[in-house]
Amino acid sequence: MPGHVIAADVGGTFTDVVLVRPDGTPVVAKTLSTHEDPAEGILTGVRSVLESSGTGPAEVGRFVHATTLATNAILERTGARVAFVTTRGFRGLLALGRYARVEEDRFDILFEPPPPPVPLSRCFEVTERLDARGGVLVPLDEADVRRVAGRIGRLDVEAVAISLLHSYANPAHERRVAEILAEALPAGVSLAVSSEIFPESREYERATTTLMSAYVGPIMVRYLGLLERRLRDIGIGARVQVMESSGGVLSAALAGRRAVATIESGPAAGVVAAQAVGRRLGLPDVISFDMGGTTAKACAIRGGVPDLTREFHVGGKGSFGGRRAGTGVPIKIAAIDLAEVGAGGGSVAWVDEGGALRVGPRSAGSRPGPACYGLGGVNPTVTDANLLLGYLDPGNFAGGTLTLSPERGAEAIERVLSVPLGVTPEAAAAAVHDIANAVMAAAVHVVTVQRGIDPRAYPIVAMGGAGPMHAARVAERFGIVRIVVPAACGVGSAAGLLATDLATDRVGTRVVAHADADIDAGIGPTYARLTAEGLADLGVTGRDPGVVVERTIDIRYRGQAHDLNIALPPGELTKAVLDGVVERFYERYLAAYGIAPRDPVEFVGYRVRVTRLVARDAAQAHHVAPAAGATGATGGPARSRPAWFAEAGGFADTPVYTRAARRGLPPLAGPLLVEDAEATVVVPPRWTLTVDATDTITLSREPS
Amino acid sequence: MTTSSGRDALTAEVLRHSLMVAAEEAGIVVIRSAYSTFIVEGSDASAAILDRHGRLIAHSVATTLMNSMALSVALPEVLADHPAESMRPGDVFALNDAYRGGIHTNDILVFRPIFVGDTVEYFSGTLIHVSDLGGASAGGMAALATDIFAEGLQLPPVRIATADGLDPVMERLLRLNSRTPDLVMGDVRALIAGAGTAARRIEELLAEYGPAEFRRSVADYLDYTEARTRRALAALRPGTYRSEYAIDDDGVHPSLHPGAPPLVVRVAVTVAGGSAVIDFEGTDAQVAAAVNSSLSQSLAGAVFAIRCFLDPTLPMNAGGLRPLDIRLPAGSLLNAQSPYPCGGRFLPVYAAIEAIMQAMSEAAPDRAIAASGILQPFSIAARQAPYWIHLAYDFGGVGARAGKDGPDATGVHFGIGRNSVPQTEPVETRCPLVVEAVEFIPDSGGPGRWRGGLGSRTTFRLLADADVTTRGDRLRTAPPGRDGGRPGRLGGFFRRTPDGTVERLPAKNNNAHFRAGEAFIVETTGGGGLGRPEERDIEAVRADVADGRVTRLGAERDFGVVIGDDE
Repeated sequence: MPGHVIAADVGGTFTDVVLVRPDGTPVVAKTLSTHEDPAEGILTGVRSVLESSGTGPAEVGRFVHATTLATNAILERTGARVAFVTTRGFRGLLALGRYARVEEDRFDILFEPPPPPVPLSRCFEVTERLDARGGVLVPLDEADVRRVAGRIGRLDVEAVAISLLHSYANPAHERRVAEILAEALPAGVSLAVSSEIFPESREYERATTTLMSAYVGPIMVRYLGLLERRLRDIGIGARVQVMESSGGVLSAALAGRRAVATIESGPAAGVVAAQAVGRRLGLPDVISFDMGGTTAKACAIRGGVPDLTREFHVGGKGSFGGRRAGTGVPIKIAAIDLAEVGAGGGSVAWVDEGGALRVGPRSAGSRPGPACYGLGGVNPTVTDANLLLGYLDPGNFAGGTLTLSPERGAEAIERVLSVPLGVTPEAAAAAVHDIANAVMAAAVHVVTVQRGIDPRAYPIVAMGGAGPMHAARVAERFGIVRIVVPAACGVGSAAGLLATDLATDRVGTRVVAHADADIDAGIGPTYARLTAEGLADLGVTGRDPGVVVERTIDIRYRGQAHDLNIALPPGELTKAVLDGVVERFYERYLAAYGIAPRDPVEFVGYRVRVTRLVARDAAQAHHVAPAAGATGATGGPARSRPAWFAEAGGFADTPVYTRAARRGLPPLAGPLLVEDAEATVVVPPRWTLTVDATDTITLSREPS
Repeated sequence: MTTSSGRDALTAEVLRHSLMVAAEEAGIVVIRSAYSTFIVEGSDASAAILDRHGRLIAHSVATTLMNSMALSVALPEVLADHPAESMRPGDVFALNDAYRGGIHTNDILVFRPIFVGDTVEYFSGTLIHVSDLGGASAGGMAALATDIFAEGLQLPPVRIATADGLDPVMERLLRLNSRTPDLVMGDVRALIAGAGTAARRIEELLAEYGPAEFRRSVADYLDYTEARTRRALAALRPGTYRSEYAIDDDGVHPSLHPGAPPLVVRVAVTVAGGSAVIDFEGTDAQVAAAVNSSLSQSLAGAVFAIRCFLDPTLPMNAGGLRPLDIRLPAGSLLNAQSPYPCGGRFLPVYAAIEAIMQAMSEAAPDRAIAASGILQPFSIAARQAPYWIHLAYDFGGVGARAGKDGPDATGVHFGIGRNSVPQTEPVETRCPLVVEAVEFIPDSGGPGRWRGGLGSRTTFRLLADADVTTRGDRLRTAPPGRDGGRPGRLGGFFRRTPDGTVERLPAKNNNAHFRAGEAFIVETTGGGGLGRPEERDIEAVRADVADGRVTRLGAERDFGVVIGDDE
């Protein structure tokens, strides 16, 4: 297989493309995202990295992609035209919805419930009914299904989502409905069946997860087909692999069927990058901190593994980074449990009617962008503030994508912030920088302190175009004394794509009391079936080298609604193994909630994750090392410029280094700046800088 | 809050986040570890941070005003019985006394003191509707109670736990008074765990900021909220606005009984100069039936309703209460005295909210709203062991708003959302019943230029004998429309016998016996319309017909729009 790998990450503001040669050396391109046709920005970046690295397209053996396509389709309601079929009596299931009114919605007399993800006029019901154990209460009326098929046929839909009551317990009716619809509807109409996509109890989330699969599946298939065709046109024959939310990658074929699994594609890639950096440096516990143009994301990686969640709310809002139940469309997928806040370089700063300075959550995006982009933006942003404070070089921004205009940035800050507030532009800009740090600290807080993790023991891995500019100040808020900034940090998520493995998740659900658990007739065969399905997803067998099967089980107290997910040890399932798992449930419960009565528990869900590891040697090489034969360290700064540090009482002339200049040299005390092509590292007073032989930066300071 | 220095703005912003996160974490802990049916079926827990005067500093996003006001009013009562000097680290206090800040007997409030040095300065508080605490009906809905003693065990402020753990005497007392002793103790443990979590977070913040800085930041935050609230009030057209709203009946006196007491809530809202007086003088007297409200709940209703006419983004804390003077006559429906029952407190409170909304619709016509259907609580419970209960509510349609239709089958009062309506699959897994349908009721929204929100119909077919308890209102007098809009369709509670006969049940009834094979049907009332229906956009009528919200017959009858069969 040709040994060059390309990774492409499409974000809200920038599209990052990284090419890595077989020896691990990277070439990077950053372009503005092209939202109308995301492939355009990718192709621009791909051509650029091929050309500047002198690589022939045929040498590219792997193409890994993080995309916001599924997220945007749901947020902007531009997915496929879908019909929904459910059990008689429940046509209103999605239109009635389960939204929560939180924050300002609660007191808004003019509040508007979110429009249903599919209009009632495309929702249908068929006569049939199962009970909670899967028994048939009302047989499926096939003539009724054919009538519904006829009506759907006249609606010109691209996909149909089928979700019948209690189908998680017995999929027979759903399968038969799918067969009849497949016969009756035109070829090319895709079908999404809830018992295949998410076979778990609670009809609303199962229906939305199925519906969203139907909604984004066809456009994902179309988009990936188009992207692969355009890559082939320029000579790249590698199939595209797509990052999924839980940290693995899917083949293009699987991504089409499980498009919802790609919702948090880009943010997950950033976490995987931080995980790889931690692994390489021997740091199993790190905080991934990734700040781009639109949002910042934080995730705690413990013991080398990021936390996972099983429910995601697309378009959700609240204080928890878009994850609050009831404020978006719930999608039941495995996703890296990260906190995302609306604080990026493009976040708009404003003064509220109480006279308080606020930052975000609105972003200026790539168009018109911050005022200093000179692309028509008139609102001051975090980037404008950073430019005014001297942290950014107007002539060296985002890999030379743009030349910034300090005048436009300063004008916006003065007009919108400093004049109304009656402060100097510098004070306003410093406050904007600080408030952005505070908002991002909230994200770090959610994934650490709030989960009972003391962040002081966790170095921060800082990435994204803006991350290394803010990381030290965020760290100070928690007493964190170590920050790692990997090479090519400005395109960190794309670098993360290089460290991914092919993976798939399968889940089964059935409530069984621990006391009644039957391994031979129940739980054992369930895991065997799920494992076989997962292996089939990846086209591998359990004996293939590099194939890993992980099993987990959901456990709760009898009578409660919420469960904890506990890992099963590898090997044969026995009563002793299950008893041990229950003990671990009690321990985890005690750690999480401070109480743990030894009351009876029950098993609720059974999960299998199958991973095919990318050859570990290659992944190790893909740590994005500096080019071989790079010039030795000179030690001195390339130049200097005034930069603002509160400790210095304002602007101070501050040296600006390249990484190469400090490679392998002793620690150097701040304040200073380090400039990459794609990012600037701000080293405030009291922090020291070291750069190792792989161009990885470490910032450290004495505990205060 | 001043912005002369970025540092002040920053501190306030960070602290605000941290306080909310502390309350949020407490709520999560309670939800994750409670057994109450409401929680298990999807409702949220409430959690708040208060100062030692009971002033609300912050609460979790899911906390309704009903619950945060209860915590705020009850805390001084706890301190009256247990002076701060007598409190020790690790102590936890609880009460449910409706006449001292509580809500009704089934809602337990839990407080944990937070110390600065040796002094109690702050409290964390948590609150949920617990599994069962006795009374005439399982799960705490004694719809026909004539005094509070029928509503369950009353709990004055008690020290329920110390650093050593739960008080064994209190545990025995609660267990003895509950139909579900294990579940209720699970709920109490969850409340205590949640309060402990929030208290630890606040202690960390106090250590991080220092007590003086913390106190100053809290004061700044409340002042900032007050200033914004005053500005929003000042933007309203000054004047006195009056309205009233009646409760259908008290459930004890038969419908339209000549001796039935009047049940009208009357209000005069005076706004001027950045403050408001909300005076309920003239509201009818408390009655010996479960249609009275305790003080904290009426305060919450008044604050909620007035907030709906201010900037929705105002923070909710004690600072926002300072410009409001809320007058609740003692001994009225809105300020019941012992032993008048308070279990049905939402009935007078929703009438109070509606009266304020109608009055304020005059003051702010751009935010006018027609009257709404309300939530209709009910329970379906086992008649004998093994015990099971389905305890839930369905929502009526919201009244049409200026320029907008009313949302369907959702809560306008207190801003509760449909996430608290249980899902069918887990209910059927737990209880011997089949939910035949959860559906919109076509044509139930009050016709108008802006249409009222639709009511819903949920049909439960019972697989075992059961007792059904209901507590409904606006089931006899429909919520009226405004400005030429018409009322919403009346809902009700019904019994369907196996031969298909459907009979209407009283709106409020206690333990109606249902046999296996019979069905219990909940229909909620639609919201009132706003503006004349003839002025409704024809395309909007057409879309309603396509979606099934309005029938062809209804389109012609109510809106004068004839829609052909081919559409």
